[in-house]
Amino acid sequence: MKKSMKSAAMLLISVLAASTLVTACSSGSSNQPNTSGAPGLSDSAKPDLEPVELTMVFPVNTEQKDLKAVEEEINKITQKKINATVKLVQITKGAWAQQTTLMLSGNEKMDLIVSGRGTYEQQVAKGNYLALDDYIAKYGQGAQKALDDLDPAYLKASRIDGKTYGITSIRDLASDFGISMRKDLVDKYKIDTNAIRSVDDLDTVFKVIKENEPDVTPVIKFSNSILGSPFSAGMMDPLGDGFGVLQAHNDGMKVVNWIETPEYAKLLDTTRRWYLAGYVAKDAATSTEIWQNLMKAGKAFSTFHHMSPFSEAANSLTVGQDLIEVRLLPAASGTTSVITYMWSIPRNAQNPERSMMLLDLMYTDKDFINLLDWGIEGQHYVKKSDNVIDFPEGVNASNSGYYPYENWLFGNMFLSYVFNGEDPDRNQKLEEFIKNSKKSKAMGFIYNPESVKTEIAALTNVVNQYALALETGTVDPAKVLPEYIKQMKAAGIDKVIAEKQKQLDAWAAANK
Amino acid sequence: MKASKMSVLRLEMRKAKKYRMLVLMTLPGLLYFLVNNYLPMFGIVIAFKDVNFATGIWGSEWVGFKNFEYLFKTKDAYIITRNTLLYNLSFIVLNTAIAISLAILLNEIRKRILSRTYQTLILLPHLISMVIVGYLVLGFLDVEKGFMNKTLLPFFGLEPISWYSETKYWPWILTIVHAWKGVGQLCIIYLASIIGIDQEYYEAAKIDGANRWQQIQMITIPLIAPVITIMTLLAIGRIFYSDFGLFFQVPLNTGVLMPVTNTIDTYVYRALVNMGDIGMSSAAGLYQALVGFVLVLASNAVVRKFNKDNALF
Repeated sequence: MKKSMKSAAMLLISVLAASTLVTACSSGSSNQPNTSGAPGLSDSAKPDLEPVELTMVFPVNTEQKDLKAVEEEINKITQKKINATVKLVQITKGAWAQQTTLMLSGNEKMDLIVSGRGTYEQQVAKGNYLALDDYIAKYGQGAQKALDDLDPAYLKASRIDGKTYGITSIRDLASDFGISMRKDLVDKYKIDTNAIRSVDDLDTVFKVIKENEPDVTPVIKFSNSILGSPFSAGMMDPLGDGFGVLQAHNDGMKVVNWIETPEYAKLLDTTRRWYLAGYVAKDAATSTEIWQNLMKAGKAFSTFHHMSPFSEAANSLTVGQDLIEVRLLPAASGTTSVITYMWSIPRNAQNPERSMMLLDLMYTDKDFINLLDWGIEGQHYVKKSDNVIDFPEGVNASNSGYYPYENWLFGNMFLSYVFNGEDPDRNQKLEEFIKNSKKSKAMGFIYNPESVKTEIAALTNVVNQYALALETGTVDPAKVLPEYIKQMKAAGIDKVIAEKQKQLDAWAAANK
Repeated sequence: MKASKMSVLRLEMRKAKKYRMLVLMTLPGLLYFLVNNYLPMFGIVIAFKDVNFATGIWGSEWVGFKNFEYLFKTKDAYIITRNTLLYNLSFIVLNTAIAISLAILLNEIRKRILSRTYQTLILLPHLISMVIVGYLVLGFLDVEKGFMNKTLLPFFGLEPISWYSETKYWPWILTIVHAWKGVGQLCIIYLASIIGIDQEYYEAAKIDGANRWQQIQMITIPLIAPVITIMTLLAIGRIFYSDFGLFFQVPLNTGVLMPVTNTIDTYVYRALVNMGDIGMSSAAGLYQALVGFVLVLASNAVVRKFNKDNALF
């Protein structure tokens, strides 16, 4: 533990040192196609394509033990269509950041990787992804069409300096915001959910729970706060890191410090009121229990978060309790919501044009998509009707060999089967939801913090010191918020905002 | 001149021949250090570069000391340096004192089984992960369910304390936790060197009529002084590194407590865990290593001045 920082850094450095040597040695041969994985060309293979093996890296919640079997089925499709075999590499989300950083900085053979998850800009700045524009134009028209049918803004959103480094999957590309409540308690106390229009209508609801259910905390934090992120993302576009935001009601292009706005102060006051009334747990600031676990254990009544047309069903399934979602803020989308999950071609991909062909299949080929989404028919799922599927006899979510439930990640969700229990009209609702969402005026703007990273390091520490305590109501905002603002100024927030404003203005001028 | 040089060389050759077995035995260790500690030192250049993987480390742009700026630019720099230094200083003094006392006491226990039991019990905390220690502390300090607030303070008729939002208690809490966890290992080292002391010294002292306390004062402490010096020098070399687990896990990463729990390591971790900027993290590592190196040289020089035999080199 004592040496963890240092030895991690040392490990990284030595790996890097070794990898640069390896790069130098192997660069001469790296353009040769890899032929190892394609035994015997299939008859209908395109004659002009060399057989290749493509490695595809993606995050999973838990490791899927039938991955190899699914891979074999996928290869039947990909060999026929693009004369390539696919190697699937799954990495659990907990290990994702560390492992992929090492894989990207080393010389690991990868042809397609999930990008985003908060590190897209950094990885592009470090030169780890290839620019995709030429490949999209030649080999990725299917993916482009699928996205452009929704709105051309989504493909453009990931552009940095005019170049595309990632293609977003088609999923809930927008979010609305509100509160999730346990249905059993809502029914028990006859709470009228239609009467809940704003955050201030909730005091009476929490009061009922507090008085009648002594073991249940009326409201718990979703990630690290009660009414802060992710709920607050309905009131502003964080423009990347949240140091300098664009407020939702603001029609101009003025970047402001969210912490200094009256809206933020009001959220904190509300939270404090709830804390003092006992609606928030006294240990909210130190507890590290995730909301799903507290809900599962029946210890919590509600939490605020971002929502989509299928979040209610999905979250109910996760916590094993029926939840009711009440929307309080309208659907919005911005660059951040688009670039959280994308597909990119890593710098050391050996056949980028083939990677793009494979990616294109993920937006156009229904069989390929559903193999990735749900596994093998008959083994991992059975068809109930043309588009609705369910588990086969004796198989369920916990014993299935392949059930990643990542149909929102593997390309085009519109082509994914609807699982039994999901809304049969999911696709249509999702499409309407995305199309009706309010797009941030800065959709497509990606901020580059390179020139102010010294300030960002200092600001991150200030946020760590104050945000959690304030956003759980543990401390009095009247006293602590001014101090928080003062510390942010001392750490250089104004300089960071000025830089962001400059970049935003330049972007707006270039994208009129 | 030339002749003397030749003879020195010859002398060295003869020495090398004489000790070749010993030299051979150090080889695995030397190799280990070469591969594990010296080769990666080429990575130091990363601290002065804006690393771009597309162009490789050597091709990346030189940025001078820009990566170091964040360590000194804000007023946090003072707080984290103060915390790191003062905590470590008090840890060195306290842990050494406690460990030596314990070692002497353990040595006085004649019943072998008791002595072994105590040793094991004292060492046990050293083997517990800091993450778990953090939760053990929470067991004591939890606002609603903790032992302190639920049992101990009410017993004395005191009001419960919100431990995780009051900075004033934490310098004490951290010092106690660190001593509890770290003393065992140190104690064993001292105990080993005490056991190594020739019994004849004590017999002679007894004949001269020295009591137990005088024996400890006049024989035990002076004879383990070299070990104390070495252990202290080693600790001083790491004075700019803080126990990350102690300062991050034990206060449960609580923001309010940061004025008294933020050290260089936790600051760097918090600042860079999201940014993932290896240039800036290498800069912090290099800064800590350099200061530690200078401090070891300086304190060794001081020791050398007083007692040449006790110095490391």
